[in-house]
Amino acid sequence: MKPWKYVVAVGMTIVISAGFLIHIPFIPILEQTARNIFFHVPMWMTMFSLFLISFWYSIKYLNDPKPEFDIKASSAASVGVAFGICGLLTGSLWARFTWGSWWTFAEPKMNLAALAMMIYVAYFVLRSAFDDREKRAKLAAVYNIFAVTTIPFLLYVVPRQLTSLHPGADGNPAFSEITAAELRYILYPAFVGFIALGFWIYDVVHRYKKVQFEVENS
Amino acid sequence: MQEDSLAAVDTLTKAYSDQWAGSSGTEQAGAFIQFMSSNELIYVVLGVSLIIWLVLLFFLFRVDRKVSILEEQIQSKKEEV
Repeated sequence: MKPWKYVVAVGMTIVISAGFLIHIPFIPILEQTARNIFFHVPMWMTMFSLFLISFWYSIKYLNDPKPEFDIKASSAASVGVAFGICGLLTGSLWARFTWGSWWTFAEPKMNLAALAMMIYVAYFVLRSAFDDREKRAKLAAVYNIFAVTTIPFLLYVVPRQLTSLHPGADGNPAFSEITAAELRYILYPAFVGFIALGFWIYDVVHRYKKVQFEVENS
Repeated sequence: MQEDSLAAVDTLTKAYSDQWAGSSGTEQAGAFIQFMSSNELIYVVLGVSLIIWLVLLFFLFRVDRKVSILEEQIQSKKEEV
């Protein structure tokens, strides 16, 4: 077991506890749910990070078709989708008690995030369509490069051009003046912690898949 | 208005059951119980979240270690050949 994993374990325990325990400023409507920022937003940051890892290994696979790179790309994408689903579910619950609805089609970021998830689900559907490993790996890598290019547009560029219920709409950066300083002391460590946790889960998943691959081909 | 409709059930000003003792009588209780009962029971939510987190963490550690053992087995088999 690598030492950084113990750091993540302890660090995340502190972040979760501090997220509940610190005194937060009173914000009307949000009230105590302002603490959700420590858990909901890092889901998306973790998803972006894992999709970037996936993208990186897809490019590497196209340069040098080693099965290892395909295993890493698909593992990172699957863990990224898991975090994205957590982001959608936590956002939906939060929305019910602050925006007043579980789901609203008037909210571009919410719907485009769901669309981004579907684009990645299609990646796994595409993978399952091939029996030939090399063909699957190559097409999946090409598709994955397309998939990752949609993410910044779906989750950053387009939502900021439209009216949105999310903070950070109408051209404002989400974290500039509107996030209270007290929240950031936990928010930034939470970003680091959740990204590291996502990387840890990805690490376990891709090593498992590699072992499985070696057992099947020996 | 329907008496048995969901909207008619008052869950905001009354406890769900008359039999719930709640966190009353904490003055005589130990320091831990007093602490957990304070601040509108938020520490109970923290406790629940930490239990979930620590169990999942324990599980992640175990799976990680199991994969490491498999990797070592495969490596030693490769070296034998």
